[in-house]
Amino acid sequence: MTGRALLRFDVASARRGRLTPIFAAGFALVSVGVALAGLSAGGAVVVQGFARTSVSLLQLTLWTVPLLSLLLGAVSGAECTELEFLTALPLPRTHIVVSRWAAWTLALTVALVAGFGAAGVVIGILAGSADVARYVALIGIATLLVSASLAIGLWIGIVARTRARAVGFAVLVWFVLVVGADLAAIALLSVLPAPAGSWSLVVLLTANPVDSARALGLGLFQADVVAGPTGAALHRLLGGPGAALVLVGLIAWTIVPLRLAGRRFARQDL
Amino acid sequence: MIELHGVTKRFGTQVALASFTLTVAPGEIVALVGPNGAGKSTTLRILAGALHPDEGSAAIGGRDVVADPLCARRHLGYLPQRLGVPLSTVVGDLATLVATARGLPAAAGPSALTSYGLGRRLDATLGEMSGGQRQRAMLALATLGPIDALVLDEPSISLDVDGADDVREAIRAARRAGAGVLFASHHLSDVAQLADRIAVMVAGKLVACGTLEELATATGVAWDRRVTDAPIERIYRTLVRGLSRLQDAA
Repeated sequence: MTGRALLRFDVASARRGRLTPIFAAGFALVSVGVALAGLSAGGAVVVQGFARTSVSLLQLTLWTVPLLSLLLGAVSGAECTELEFLTALPLPRTHIVVSRWAAWTLALTVALVAGFGAAGVVIGILAGSADVARYVALIGIATLLVSASLAIGLWIGIVARTRARAVGFAVLVWFVLVVGADLAAIALLSVLPAPAGSWSLVVLLTANPVDSARALGLGLFQADVVAGPTGAALHRLLGGPGAALVLVGLIAWTIVPLRLAGRRFARQDL
Repeated sequence: MIELHGVTKRFGTQVALASFTLTVAPGEIVALVGPNGAGKSTTLRILAGALHPDEGSAAIGGRDVVADPLCARRHLGYLPQRLGVPLSTVVGDLATLVATARGLPAAAGPSALTSYGLGRRLDATLGEMSGGQRQRAMLALATLGPIDALVLDEPSISLDVDGADDVREAIRAARRAGAGVLFASHHLSDVAQLADRIAVMVAGKLVACGTLEELATATGVAWDRRVTDAPIERIYRTLVRGLSRLQDAA
């Protein structure tokens, strides 16, 4: 009962902010822009179908969605330390953290679905509905990434305690996830023998939510067609248990940071 | 019933509260007074669960605030010195949440705000309200429902004459309902009018506690409750300055 009341309170707060419609409009504009930017073999501007638009959007999603979600989560987490009135109510502190995460995950998911969905309607009308499932899968992967990044951001914010420090740490973590981890992976894989390298790659993909989302995206979209030999190798590697492991890893990137954030907030002084 | 037994709280190497012991009986009003940094807010924040004591124990209605925090907070009304919720919060939404969390019908929250003259501001955010309206709204929500303990940190701050009257009436109403009330204030006239006992704090320690008459006797100040507020200020200054001198000498 109180959990639902708390969620309603946080969802109402998230909904009242202008961020959700702004993000939805941004996602829609980018999606339509990417779809319209396709070039036919003859050089004329044509509308790309869902498959190519999805692959084009994937990289953009991998850069922007974690950044937005980490920043939102970090600010929301830092704000938890200012909730002295709420924490004096008979509400478990862990519920306060989980409720904030759920509210923002819902808000950003609505923004993703509205933005990409609006663009999807345009693409469907102009280029047909072939491969629409891949486009829907992209939204699903982006939602998982939102969920994980928000949880990590909340944890960062609660540990950092102030908004300025939280934002600074969030940007640093985003950079590490998006760029730093890839550099480390390249370095590691270059010194490992090939068979060990395959499983090391799966482990490395699981160790980074952004890489997990990238791998799932390329795998689900049959990236061997559009990403050449690299995509083909990834597709082979992720066939069967590899993909499941990466998916479980991505889900764990929500659960573990959220639990850590809740435990930390429950024990810390405000 | 509010109980603090040997509570110590440190921030780094600084001792904010040192072996602090105080009990507030049901239906009793106790005022915490003392200079800035004396440990008043720290005491109240420990009771509200915002801070965890390093040593000792604190309890509301016989329930330890650390070991059994949810039960302890179930019948606690708390008004922090800082707002304690984001300014972007819609006051009506907050009222509904407070009522639900206290096990009351959701509509009890907004109707408490209405009884404080804020019925037309239910859709406003706290940031859109004046400082006085905000404080009254938070007071209305802090005192919502059946509470065993009311803990208020500078409740009259930023309030006009009517608002200060609301605070005094809320405190008296809580006492009539049988709640123990502990409040910190620099407004010594409020303290003199409301408190059954006054606890004087200096440097994290309880240095004196008693009725005004007892404190007046202890400090040798002539006291007449009917005449003026001046004697309580003299009592306060005598206690605080005298103890500060003792500490400096030590």
